[in-house]
Amino acid sequence: MGLMAETIPAVEITNLVKDFKTSFGKKLLRAVDGVSLRIMPGEVYGLIGPNGSGKSTTMKALLGLVAPTAGHCAIFGKDSLKVDSRNDVGFLPENPYFYKHLSGAETLKFYGKLCGLGGKLLDARISELLALVDLEGARDRRLGGYSKGMLQRIGLAQALVQEPRLVILDEPTAGVDPVGSRQIRDLIFRLKERGITVFLCSHLLEQVQEVCDHVGIIFRGKMVKEGRLEDLIAIEDQTEIILKDADPELIGKITALVEASGASLVRTGKPRTTLERLFLRETTEGDEP
Amino acid sequence: MTGIQLNKPQGSHFGRIWVIALHAFTQLVRMKVFYFLAVFAVIAIASNFFDLPQHEGPESVGINVLRSIKSWSLGTMTLFSVVLSIVATALLLPKDVEDRTLYTILAKPVPRLDYLAGKLLGVLLLVFVSLALMDILMTVVLHLRAGMVLDQQMAMAQARGWPAEAIAELRADTALHGPSWSLQGAVWAVFLRASIMASLALLISTFSTSTLFTTIISFLIYFIGHFQADARDAYLQAGEAGQGMLVRGAGLVMSLVLPDFQNFNVIDAVIEGQALPMVALAKLSAIGLYYAIFFTGASWFLFAKKEF
Amino acid sequence: MKNWQRNGILVGAIFVFGGLRLPFEAGLRGELQAAHLIPQALEIGTRDKIGQTSSAVALGGLRTLVATFLNLRAFGFFEAQRWDDVADTFDTIVDLAPKTRYYWEAGTSHAAYNASSYYLNQSTLPPLRRREAWRASVLRGRAFLERGIKNNPTDWSLLRNLGFLLSDTNLFPAFRNPDETFLAAAAAYRRSAATGNALPYVRRAEFISLARVTGKEREALALGRELYASKENRAPTVLLLLLVLEAHENPALDSAARAVEFFGTAQSAYENLCRYWLRTRELFPIYGVASALESLERTLAIPQEKSIFNKPLQSRPDADEWFRN
Repeated sequence: MGLMAETIPAVEITNLVKDFKTSFGKKLLRAVDGVSLRIMPGEVYGLIGPNGSGKSTTMKALLGLVAPTAGHCAIFGKDSLKVDSRNDVGFLPENPYFYKHLSGAETLKFYGKLCGLGGKLLDARISELLALVDLEGARDRRLGGYSKGMLQRIGLAQALVQEPRLVILDEPTAGVDPVGSRQIRDLIFRLKERGITVFLCSHLLEQVQEVCDHVGIIFRGKMVKEGRLEDLIAIEDQTEIILKDADPELIGKITALVEASGASLVRTGKPRTTLERLFLRETTEGDEP
Repeated sequence: MTGIQLNKPQGSHFGRIWVIALHAFTQLVRMKVFYFLAVFAVIAIASNFFDLPQHEGPESVGINVLRSIKSWSLGTMTLFSVVLSIVATALLLPKDVEDRTLYTILAKPVPRLDYLAGKLLGVLLLVFVSLALMDILMTVVLHLRAGMVLDQQMAMAQARGWPAEAIAELRADTALHGPSWSLQGAVWAVFLRASIMASLALLISTFSTSTLFTTIISFLIYFIGHFQADARDAYLQAGEAGQGMLVRGAGLVMSLVLPDFQNFNVIDAVIEGQALPMVALAKLSAIGLYYAIFFTGASWFLFAKKEF
Repeated sequence: MKNWQRNGILVGAIFVFGGLRLPFEAGLRGELQAAHLIPQALEIGTRDKIGQTSSAVALGGLRTLVATFLNLRAFGFFEAQRWDDVADTFDTIVDLAPKTRYYWEAGTSHAAYNASSYYLNQSTLPPLRRREAWRASVLRGRAFLERGIKNNPTDWSLLRNLGFLLSDTNLFPAFRNPDETFLAAAAAYRRSAATGNALPYVRRAEFISLARVTGKEREALALGRELYASKENRAPTVLLLLLVLEAHENPALDSAARAVEFFGTAQSAYENLCRYWLRTRELFPIYGVASALESLERTLAIPQEKSIFNKPLQSRPDADEWFRN
């Protein structure tokens, strides 16, 4: 990636405002209210917020699917309302339905051709993508017979077909079981390794926390908090010590030390694994490397 | 990664339109519309055996059968092409919006005009292929039957000792009702009319809120379009007929807004054995193209700013 | 751009687009009407039947098919002898398919021949009512056929059929004035022949009709001579009418000798003249026929009791007589 590309943000949204007409004429509904955000190449950015807070509208504005009432969106410096801004972006909408009559390979071929690809290059790309999203076995199966997780993964492959430098994922794990969710999470990691910028929105905080390095929190159309994940969630005045095989005597000593030093002990106890980790351990034992 | 780098939109407009068209075509084909062709085949063949009661002498018997084959075939083609072009067009766009597949397409570097043109072309491709298949079947059936009728007539004429001119006249009369280039022209006119309807349905579906609305409005315009010429006459000849400004104005508005389908009624004359001159067909084609381009352009004008 | 501005532009474009195509479409309509590829407003009968006409226009591409179905229905009415329904159905059929000769011919023959003879034999009706019904039916058939000719002015067969209808001995009493009727028949045959598609007998039929019009003998004679020039036209009726017309022009003509000239032998001339003499129902002129017969009877030594003048003549066609029971 050239030096220029490093300096141009992958996503630049400035003061985005979007009003929608409500069904009864005059009254306008402000879905997005002055949102600004910037994603630099290579970042994984998570936009979080409750349902109806303006996440999807922001993404649609970035893709040119809705026109901003005010403000400006650009992808790698290109105006989102222009077609060529979409050369470098792949999009996976929330709960996508692709054409049921097409097989996995045909779906990728269709989207590849839309991007002007063709011939052996496209065939090779399709095989590569199917391998990436682990759908080689379902290559020639119609999408009508795909599970939700498979659909999400073929959707991701579709978004990647023209090798975009940015992918936008709208609720990528909505309605997907934990195993499928984990596969998608792994895919996002792989994209990150390859230097692809990822912009995802979700209301599943745990997931965002796991994969994103930047987060924005949007609420009622306004960006309420934004920044590096680590900075945002670190509790500056606390320190965590996790011990193994410590007997109560040792714990007593440490507690005494803490009290003597003037600091305070917030809590002690046994750390718990997350339910997700437990579920995954129980359901995928042996399959996972 | 294989390392393809993309900077400019890749591929031509036509390439993209063609990809979307072929896709819309296969999508419709998988909706089993071609079953209709089987129905058509049954009709085309069955129209051979309809034992029509005769009011008249034996020399017109065969001709009536030929006319019946043509009536049935072109009538079925008309129904099929109009219904298909309206319903398929009215269906495809809302379906893509509903299934959110439109997002994935428009999120690719695909201009919205290419998307619309592709969908329209896909429907037209389907109508064209279907009409071509029906046309081939009709021509074959008609050719075979016309040969049989001619043989019968010649046998009858010779048995009755008709003079040579009479036999030649009969032969020419029968040939008018066999397969002809005019008949092919009529099938082309059926296609042209279907193209107008498809592009009109496309326009309506860009602002309509439901498939049902698009379908109903399109059919309404289709039927009213057959009377547009009368409205135009009312405007053009209002002075002579001494009609008031109101009638004249209403006639003008109607004839400016509605498409004129009456010129396409040449199809009926061709079924009756009239010859369709190339000039007339070329002019009809020009009209069809004019409508299709205008309606597609207008659809794009609305669709370009549509939000999803 | 605001939404209302875009809509305004679109509406404006629709009008401009309509304005640009209007003259072109109107012109094409004129051309197609001139070529009889689409029916003219006037041709589709009276606009009284606006409902039917409208459906005819709206059924673009399906009209002949609907006509086929109506034809089936008409046949049902015909079998049930519901003549008014037959006529109404055929009116609709020809609105739908005005270029199909068959429908015009079928509709005509139902009215002029089938329905009329039904009324002729309808013994439950009083004679006067029967007569009027018969006559109205014949006239209706003629009007229908003439409408068909207006729609298909170059169709030789429809014109010929009009000639047939007007010179039919069973029908022409319905038209009251034989001279006018035969003149109209001759005109129909002439137009039929002028289309260039008609068979040779149509010109002979024109002559046979024209020869019967009082006051047109000279024109008929000229036509007869023109026909005579070609061998295939020398049918017995043509020869006999030619003979009669020559006798009309030149009362001093020895018609017996001329007849022998035409038919080769005295015997053949006599037999042909006898048959002609007996065909009174056809209202043929008979200038010089009686004298030729007398002369030939003498030549052939026909005994008095076998003379043609002793044979009973056919009654002349007279509708009043038919309905006198």
